[in-house]
Amino acid sequence: MQRKNLFKTILIVFLLCWAIYALWPSYKLNTLTPEKRKMLDDEGKLIPLIDKSIRLGLDLQGGMYLTYELDLPVLVEQLARVKDKQLTEVLSETEQELNAGSEDFMALLMNNMEKRNIPLSQYWGEHGDTEKEIKEWIEKEAKDAMNRSLEILRNRIDQFGVSEPIIQKIGARRILIELPGISDPDQAKALIGKTALLEFKMLKDPLVFSDVINKIDKALAREKGSIIPEETEETKAVKDTSQKAAEQQPSQDKAIGVSELFGDEEITTDEQEKSDTSLIVDENVFKENPFLALLRDLRQYGKEVSVPVENVKAVDRILAREDIQKLIPPDAQFRWSSETIKVGDREYRELFLVKKEAELTGKYLTDAKVTISQDVQNTGLPEVNFKLDRQGTRIFSRVTGANIEKRLAIILDDRVYMAPRIQTKIPNGSGRITGMKNMDEAKMMAIVLRAGALPAPVQIVEERTVGPSLGQDSINRSKWSALISMCIVMLFMIVYYRMAGAIADLALIFNLVFLLAVLAQFRFTLTLPGIAGIVLTIGMAVDANVLVFERIREELRTGKTVRTSIDAGYARAFKTILDANVTTLMTALVLYQFGTGPIRGFAITLAIGIVVSMFTALVLTRYVFDTITARRTLTKLSI
Amino acid sequence: MQFFQTPHIDFVARRKIAYVISASLLIIGIGSLFIPGRPNYGIDFKGGTSIVLRFEKTITAGKIRDALSTIGLGSSEIKRFGTKNEFLIYVEQQKGTSASDMAEKVEGAITKTLPDDSYEIRKVDTVGPKIGEELRKAAVLAVLIALLLILIYIGWRFEFVFAVGAIIALFHDVMITFGIFSILNFEISLKEIAAFLTIVGYSLNDTIVVYDRIRENLKVMRSESLATIINTSINQSLSRTIITSMTTFFVVFVLFLFGGEVIHGFAFAMCVGIIVGTYSSIFVASALVLDWQTRHGDKEHLRMAHKKK
Repeated sequence: MQRKNLFKTILIVFLLCWAIYALWPSYKLNTLTPEKRKMLDDEGKLIPLIDKSIRLGLDLQGGMYLTYELDLPVLVEQLARVKDKQLTEVLSETEQELNAGSEDFMALLMNNMEKRNIPLSQYWGEHGDTEKEIKEWIEKEAKDAMNRSLEILRNRIDQFGVSEPIIQKIGARRILIELPGISDPDQAKALIGKTALLEFKMLKDPLVFSDVINKIDKALAREKGSIIPEETEETKAVKDTSQKAAEQQPSQDKAIGVSELFGDEEITTDEQEKSDTSLIVDENVFKENPFLALLRDLRQYGKEVSVPVENVKAVDRILAREDIQKLIPPDAQFRWSSETIKVGDREYRELFLVKKEAELTGKYLTDAKVTISQDVQNTGLPEVNFKLDRQGTRIFSRVTGANIEKRLAIILDDRVYMAPRIQTKIPNGSGRITGMKNMDEAKMMAIVLRAGALPAPVQIVEERTVGPSLGQDSINRSKWSALISMCIVMLFMIVYYRMAGAIADLALIFNLVFLLAVLAQFRFTLTLPGIAGIVLTIGMAVDANVLVFERIREELRTGKTVRTSIDAGYARAFKTILDANVTTLMTALVLYQFGTGPIRGFAITLAIGIVVSMFTALVLTRYVFDTITARRTLTKLSI
Repeated sequence: MQFFQTPHIDFVARRKIAYVISASLLIIGIGSLFIPGRPNYGIDFKGGTSIVLRFEKTITAGKIRDALSTIGLGSSEIKRFGTKNEFLIYVEQQKGTSASDMAEKVEGAITKTLPDDSYEIRKVDTVGPKIGEELRKAAVLAVLIALLLILIYIGWRFEFVFAVGAIIALFHDVMITFGIFSILNFEISLKEIAAFLTIVGYSLNDTIVVYDRIRENLKVMRSESLATIINTSINQSLSRTIITSMTTFFVVFVLFLFGGEVIHGFAFAMCVGIIVGTYSSIFVASALVLDWQTRHGDKEHLRMAHKKK
């Protein structure tokens, strides 16, 4: 007995020392005054301290949780040698099935190809490859794309500067990102979600552009021949302050109902959250040239074909129509400018017709830096300077040399940032990009350019953001809940079991200390449901003791001595405690398996709580009882 | 202090009444699932965007609704969230708008229409429709796996009939809690599912304590009938059942009162679950063992089976 107790004494003292050691950084961190905190931060000692403290989940410290999905259909389309209507059809059907909940993209794709009797080799692979080889090749490419995306996102986030981000792959096409304590969620999203595909494309000749506009006009005019805008009550005339800019003759801009242009079809024309359902058209032109009427010539403001932002969606819609697509030269495509310009009280977006084939892409980029422009035109505005690698330099030099006096568009994610006229051959492989709104945007652009482009676009499928104030509130509230619960339970135990209750209370305090120590030591994440789990543990932890005490009472009632009653009580309750706790532990494990973030936090605290409470009930309280009864023989036990 | 000296309540004799109560609760609960719009799945399962905003000044839900109407959303829902200046705005995901743009749209509309009411974004949740579907499947799977594991464990530690009794009792607890959520039209999200699973664990804990006593008493009370053994076992463990349930109920009730809006549903589910779980481990789980056994076997069989363990 004595020796066994000695061993227990050592064990308990050791555990207690360890718990204090593990919890010390957390205690220190939470008792820091703001001034002290700042001081430590300046010395660079705050981060190591945080790293040793209990790690708080996003719901407690605030932050962002994002799940991105890699757009596999787009990736597969990019891999295809030819991109035709049939392929688009197959891929869009596959995508729909994918969204309907099916999992395996490749299986779905194969299935859809087979249904139409198209061999994979029609689009992918090299001559002579078997279907199986092509399938494996696509799968490998998809896997590569995932890994590359993961790497690129990690790079971007690292450069963005977030402490302790989590970036991990989930399944075959998802990436989970956790960004604790982020202050500007929108900026973070803009940075992470960008495909960041940088392309250099030559502008088509202006004559080709106007030819396309003419053709579209004719097509639309034929179709809408009967529609002539009339002055009705709802079509209120809008005075366009930029009317002088439009064409040679003064234009009579007015707002027309959308239906006038599109019949009864319902469309939204609002860009940038404008609930404006009318378009701005040049009345003089509308009748003959319904498409041209949506456009403006802003040459005297240094822009060419521009579109009032109200009309952007409508123009997009027209351009997306299949019959209109046929009027656009097959090697050309329309692209919008990244920025809008303000002329008078109206905003415009510039429209470009560029070659489909990119002359150069961001693949050849080696570096990108933000500087302040020294240009007369852009003085003080941020710009991004980039450097190309050797191969890129060669291509760039050739392209610029061959296209002097022509315009080259610099396009990032399908938005034209600038389209300068090439003055001279550029042999040194460096250049600059302007057209950013502000310093932040320029910095973001430099980061994404350095980190590289994602192999395929990514989309947010799940996003959870918790503001820091809500996190702090949650901490405070749950702290109070835990404290109040503690008091109630402890008081109850003392009232009901007297001295034995006090022993159980002691065990409860140890329980809490050990639980937190385990969390801190193993860097488990404490979430709000996690705190709920702790509170729940407070209630349930006494259970093991209650079981023992009730057994001891029963034994005492049968007239046994205190000593034997205690022994029998523990012995008999042990099996029950074990069975009861193992099952709860099992549910906790299932919860951990299926849950994400916050729920996992709950499963963790619940599981640790159960294990710790078994230890405190079976070892710690037993130890106290043994110590008490070892000194003198008790005839009466306060229980 | 002691609540019960040695109670002699005939629970077993009253099991038929308990069955009627349980069955009616189950029928009402399950029946309520057929009311359109029930159960009220939260954002985790139905997808969409929910934003919690805290305004600096007092504001009405109507004003927010007006602000939102300027951008023409699909179905939206505005409700108070905790304190009086805090609102939760739920909007369905719209076709063609990416999931995460909805939040920006809503914020934009409010900032523009109500420029004088400054606010702080407390929380934004956006769940794509596909994720919602997946989470729903995962939740159902989790509950089923948990039940299966329990079935196996109890089948191994006790007898198969005990495992069946426990599983039915657990199913009963979860379904009644679920039904109460449905009747009150409370929202069910991931946290509530976590609560349901915890109820499974908790109620089982209670049930096992009673089963354990039955197992023990089968060996000691050789001459008694199974009904007497079960009744004695329930009575012997009654004190413990009540005390543990009380302390646990205290804490989840405190959590329900003071824990804040974020875990309100979770705490409520736990409160209900503890009451139902305690009731079922006293009245349902063991009674089921008795009824099954009188129909399919005898006491001797059970006794023999437990001798080995």
